[in-house]
Amino acid sequence: MSQVISKPALRRLVELWLRQGKRVIAPVQIRPNLVSYQPVRGPEQVALEGFVRPLNSIKEVVFPRHEKLFQYRVRGKQIDLLPAPLPDVEQVVLAARPCDAAAFPILDHVFNWDSRDAAYNRRRELTTVVTLACTEHDAHCFCTTVGSRPDDPRGSDALLLEVSDGTLEVRCVTDKGQSLFAGQTEASARTGRAGPGPERRADLELIGPLLERAFERSEWPAWTNRCLGCGACAFGCPTCHCFDMVDEGGPTCGARVRNWDTCQSGQFTLHA
Amino acid sequence: MLQPLRETCRRLLEDGTVQVVIGYGQAVRAVEPYPVFITAPDDVGQLVWNEQCRTNLVKYLLRKEIRALGKPAIVVKGCDERALVVLEQESQIDRSQVVVIGMACEGMAEPRCEVCDAHQPRFADVTIGQTANEDQPAERRYAHVRQFLEQPLSSRIAYWKAELERCVKCYACRQACPLCYCERCIVDKNRPTCLDSSATLKGNFAWQIIRSFHLASRCVGCDQCSRVCPEGIDLRLLNLSMAQASETNFGYRSGTDPEAELILGHYSQQDQENFIR
Repeated sequence: MSQVISKPALRRLVELWLRQGKRVIAPVQIRPNLVSYQPVRGPEQVALEGFVRPLNSIKEVVFPRHEKLFQYRVRGKQIDLLPAPLPDVEQVVLAARPCDAAAFPILDHVFNWDSRDAAYNRRRELTTVVTLACTEHDAHCFCTTVGSRPDDPRGSDALLLEVSDGTLEVRCVTDKGQSLFAGQTEASARTGRAGPGPERRADLELIGPLLERAFERSEWPAWTNRCLGCGACAFGCPTCHCFDMVDEGGPTCGARVRNWDTCQSGQFTLHA
Repeated sequence: MLQPLRETCRRLLEDGTVQVVIGYGQAVRAVEPYPVFITAPDDVGQLVWNEQCRTNLVKYLLRKEIRALGKPAIVVKGCDERALVVLEQESQIDRSQVVVIGMACEGMAEPRCEVCDAHQPRFADVTIGQTANEDQPAERRYAHVRQFLEQPLSSRIAYWKAELERCVKCYACRQACPLCYCERCIVDKNRPTCLDSSATLKGNFAWQIIRSFHLASRCVGCDQCSRVCPEGIDLRLLNLSMAQASETNFGYRSGTDPEAELILGHYSQQDQENFIR
């Protein structure tokens, strides 16, 4: 037996979450051929089908592109530092792609490996990730090559899978997922299915030894010369996590903020 | 057209006219063509030409890694070619040191192709293929921006807020733009900071407005910025609006006349503004 939820019931749940004051982030169809993870204002905005991947990643729900670290105020010779308040809004990520969700456990390591990043961890605690297994893939997909698959539950609190009758199977992965869907699903004899996923394109085990032999090969510039040095790959990547810190404001008050940064930028890590 | 293109490039490389050809290559049809830099005559088989060659390759002429490869030939469409005209007017390229291979283009199924009047390249050294250039009246070329401007101010502001909310400041628009060539962009000036580097709505408005102003009367409408924007922001709309202003107020269309005087890059003693004198 599986647990299922109908799509209208899922949309009613979205409405409930929004009424409870939660922030709901889901794929939104902005215009034809353009789907982006965005905070939704209503359940009708959630796009559950008709696209392969949203154009951005969902790392932003736990690692915003812009975040205040503290504020400063200068009065005469006195400088006050005011800590930025920690986030306190619960969030639900709905219909994330499994490849996006799989990034969360990786980011967890990065933001906790030597010091615990307070804002990141707070956001992570406040976030429940509901993933929708992929039924389609395109020429750019490569999850199977990196050890994942269209119904990979890594990083998800609950995983949804399309059932042939149009409902969604709900597989709760963590307690957070359980409590989000408690009492909202029905038992069914049918189970959901993901698509087959893209063909495996390479054996990752071989890449290490291959690179050792090919590190200095003259063919590389043919590839690297195409790169124009923008940050689109890093900013769209669910696991790229570099940030820069800057002071914004004037001589009497302002804030120290952190902004996404990218190793592709010419000024990356060039500190004064 | 592919065979003549490859033969032309082979000849140019073989007789030493150029050392590198900047063109399009493609591994599989499902993935868009990408730039290739052919240095050996026997590699011309990597070149492709099809209705997916949307990218404007002109930016690569300015990249120091590409310049280091020697004298280039570049494959352009009639629309891309306009960027070369502006770069020459602005003294960024020596046209005699570039072989321009113009491709007759029937359109790449992009919005700008619907109002294209540059199917047939006009300034290329070698032109491959033959097609006709149709006249496109200004009202057709600027229809997209005119329709937008018919909306009330409040809806336009709401539109740009929603669009620019998504901007992550990856600067792909700048990096891919053939006419953004400043060695140090104003957003990278941080001692002191000229512009908010934050990707907030305020910072994003500041960035896109500044970029649009810096491209005013210069942008050739190749749409490369819109194409590379990872957030799908319709930057074309901003550019069209500036192009319309320059054509309406100064009768000037960038990149269409190599002899024309630049609006922003030219002054005369007779100009009425005092700061000129």
